[in-house]
Formats: sequence, C-alpha cells, structure tokens
Amino acid sequence: MATQYTKGIAGIWDKESLILKAARKTRETGFTKFEAISPYAVHGMEEACGITRSWIPYVTFIAGLIGLLSGLALTYWTSAVDWAVNVGGKPFFSLPAFIPIIFELTILFAALSSVGALFYACKMPKIDPPIIDPDLSCHKFAIFIPYNDVGYDESKIEKMFKELGALEVKKTEY
Amino acid sequence: MADHNHVDLHVSKFETPVKLKTLSLVLVAIGLLTFVIGLMKNPDRLWTSYLVAFFFFSCLGLSGLFWVALNNTANTGWSVTIRRFAEATTSFIPWIFGGGLVLLLGFKKLYIWADPLAVAANPVVQAKTAYLNTGFFLVRLFVFVVGALIFRAIIVGNSLKQDQTGDDNLTRKNISPSVAFLVFFALMFSFFSVDLLMSLLPTWYSTIYGIYTFAGLFQAGIAFLAIVVVLMKKHGFVKGYVTDEHQHDVAKYLKGFTVFWAYIAFSQFMLMWYANLPEETEFYIMRSLGGWMSISTGLLIFRFVVPFLALLPRAAKRSDSNLIAVSVLVLIMQYVDIYWLVYPNFFDGQVVFGLWEIGIFAGFAGLFLLCITSFWSKNSLVPLKDPRLHEAIHHHVAY
Repeated sequence: MATQYTKGIAGIWDKESLILKAARKTRETGFTKFEAISPYAVHGMEEACGITRSWIPYVTFIAGLIGLLSGLALTYWTSAVDWAVNVGGKPFFSLPAFIPIIFELTILFAALSSVGALFYACKMPKIDPPIIDPDLSCHKFAIFIPYNDVGYDESKIEKMFKELGALEVKKTEY
Repeated sequence: MADHNHVDLHVSKFETPVKLKTLSLVLVAIGLLTFVIGLMKNPDRLWTSYLVAFFFFSCLGLSGLFWVALNNTANTGWSVTIRRFAEATTSFIPWIFGGGLVLLLGFKKLYIWADPLAVAANPVVQAKTAYLNTGFFLVRLFVFVVGALIFRAIIVGNSLKQDQTGDDNLTRKNISPSVAFLVFFALMFSFFSVDLLMSLLPTWYSTIYGIYTFAGLFQAGIAFLAIVVVLMKKHGFVKGYVTDEHQHDVAKYLKGFTVFWAYIAFSQFMLMWYANLPEETEFYIMRSLGGWMSISTGLLIFRFVVPFLALLPRAAKRSDSNLIAVSVLVLIMQYVDIYWLVYPNFFDGQVVFGLWEIGIFAGFAGLFLLCITSFWSKNSLVPLKDPRLHEAIHHHVAY
C-alpha cells in the first residue's frame, strides 16, 4: 500500500498559535500542495492554509434534487401507474400523501452522497497510513510538504520550519 | 483572522431620525383615523383587519423576548452583540394588553362564542363556553401579558443593568428566568392563539395550532431581526460589533425556521387531509374555495419555497440586499398567514383586501416603530459589559 503515499518533509509543532503562523508562512512562501495536520479543528486554519470553499455542498444539493425527483417518480409510478389502489376514495396521484416519502428520499440521497463525496475528497479510507508522529492525534500539530510541490527544497524548508519554531523536522510520507 | 485584534470597534448613539419619527406618528394617525371611520362605516371589516394587525404586531413584540430567552438558555456568545435589537421589540409588549382590551369592543362581531344568542343556537359551542367566555379570556390575556412583562423586566432589565454595573453575574442570573419564560410562553402563547384565532371557528380545533402560530411568529421575528441587523451594520451604528458573520448566522436561523414553519404547516394539513373527518376538514375546505385557494398555495410558495431557496447559498446569506428582500417577503407572508387564518371565516370564497387592512396595519406599524426607536435611543445598541462580548466580536462562521 505504501506506494499511494507521497514522500515529503514534515515539521512538528506543539502550539496552536505557532502552527497557524507556520501554515500562513508556508502558503506565503508559495507552496500549494502542503497539508496541515491537527488533532482537532483549529479556528482560522482554512484561511491560513488558503483552503477555498468545498465543492461538497453542490454534491449535496444536486443529490437532494435527484432524491426529490426519484421520490416523486417512485410514488407516482407505484401508486398511480403500476399498481393503482383506491385509498379512501382519494385520487391515485395524491401529492400530500407522497410528500413524506419524497422528503425522506431527498434527505437520504443528499446525506449519503455528502458522506460519499467527503470520503472521496479526503481520500478515505486510508488503510495503515504512514505515521508522521503518534502525538498528532493528541497534542501536536504538523505541516507536511510533498516532494512534488513547487519550489521543494529540503534544506530550505527545514530552515524555514526551524525558524518558525518547529520542535522537529523529518522526512516522511503522507 | 489575526487582524480581528485590530478591528475598529465603535458603537454610535442611536437617535431617532426626525423623518422616521414623523413617519411613525403619521402612521399612528392614519391608524387612528381608519379605526374611527371604520367603527362608523364598516365595523365588520374594521374588526377583522384590527385582529390581523394586532396579532401580527403582538407576535413581533413577543418574538424578541423569545429570541433573547432562547439565546440566554443556550448561552450563545455569538448573539450578544445583536441582543439589543431583539430586546427592543419587547417594548411593544405592554401594548398587547391595551390592544386586547380594544379588541373586546369588537368581540361580538368576531366571535360566535361571545354572542349569547349565537351560543344558544349552537350546542357544540355551548359545550365549550366553560373555556370560551369573555371573562376567562380576559384572565388569560392578563396572565399572559403581565407574566411576559415580569419576565421582560427580569431578563431585559438584567441585561440593561449590566450596562451600568458591569456585573458578570447578571448573565448567569438571566438563565433560570429565561428557561422559565420559554415554558410559560409555550403554554400562554398557545392559549393566546387559540383564543384570538382558532376560536373564530369554535366548532373546529387543531391540536398543533399554537405551534403553527408560534412557527410563524418566530420566522417573522427573525426576519425582522435580520432587517435590523443589516440596516444597523450598513449605517455603521455598530462598527466591528455586528459583522457579516452575525448576519450570516441570523440568516441561517431564518432559513431553519422557514423549514420549521413548512414542517408544522404540512403536519397540520396532512393529517387532516388524510383522515378526512368532516369536523376537521372544515377549516381547509373554507380555505380552498374561490380566491382562498390561491392564497393557500401562495403561502406554500412564498412562505417556504422561495425563502428557502433564496437563503440556501452562503453568498445569499451574506448579501445585504438579498437578505432584506427575503426578510420583507417573510414579514409580508406572516401578515398573509394571519389574514388567511382570520378572513375565510367571514368571507366565503371571496378575497377582500383594501384600505381598512392597510390603514389599521399602518397604525400598529407606527406604534411599533415608536416603541423600538425609543428603546434604542434610551439604551446602548450593544451590551458592552457582557462577559461574552469577545466571543461575539471574534465570531466566525466557517460554513
């Protein structure tokens, strides 16, 4: 599995303020493919890393729309076309009765597609990923720059990370 | 983000612009004039239009207190800087009692149960007179308004006191009365809606009527708050304290309760439509005859579908003009909704709207404007001593 991970260099910090500063500096230096790794959501990280708005909401909206139309088609076809049953003398195509089903399918499609899109966007699941530092899931933060990023130069990056107060800089995979 | 620390913070003193004050007084005068002429010329239309406008502005006045109590209960730091805008609407609450007393003059025109002759002829209504009678109505109105005023004196009072003393404890002290008010409000507002609107057709009942009117109240209340937030921000009254972030969250609130209104409205309709019992469907049959069908459909489209889609994108919530347009639409639809609850009881299949409705609405609108502007000119627009102020100033909406 190791082949799908990218080689690169990572700096490790133990302060939230420093990682924010480091992420900002890394972006300003011109790197575009770097990752910031944190045990929890850090306020302002999107902006510091220059992450733009996610495309997942569009997936949610379109999937919801498809769910809505599927619900409409399903209820119409089953209740009014394929097996029309007279329920309490109401019309075969009785929209008020179908709304709960249409609603549920809208939500189901939108929610499952969002989760699916999220997995795709995050390249999940990652089986047995390389561990940069076990403390990254506890109290440490890291910035990882892959070898194929613009202007990748190990010694320069190491110097930059050290200047930004990194506890440790190491060559690794992510 | 980092430059938030250097943000320019400034609260201006609000002084009611002369034009706005004149406008409010002119509106009140129009209302009074319509009322007097209406009493003589067309009392039937006068009382129905009075009831709709009275209920509309009672809802707006109460929505502020409910919003503040809700945010105190949830201890929401972000909402601190816009709290005063909601608190201002509560200064209309004393008028609910006055307005209710005036309504008593028209009781016999509006309510079958208030007319002894009509009650005698209708055994179903007769059986309900233990609850539906003018005396008990007055007791309920009194308990509701006085209770709301006491809660207002505590909750808004503590908030204003904190401006002077800077005592952090006042924030904590406001939590229990806020929780108590939410319970009190749920109960008493249901009675208020049942008494004023549902009992127009005393043979009909809906068990979620109070929730339906509450859903409308809160959606409209947030729409009004959104308008105030945008205007105050735009005109630089609360520089740095109220930002696009607050506007974004208020717009989310508005979208959320737009869905809530649709959910409650549909829940009420679907069960009655499905069960198809004569004593229940009466209400919807009245509202599907003649011109009322288009109003019913209009409610679905303009109170739910349009605001929902218009508030869906992130940029739409942060756009001043879009948020104001949607909020105005929601407020108009709140009026139409109450109108739709009242008028079909009196006008079979025939939609009537005219100067009577506009005139009375203008009168209440003027009074409401006078109440809120006088509140703002007396108090600071931002509770500057609230201990959670920093949370609100640094509020940031990621999504």
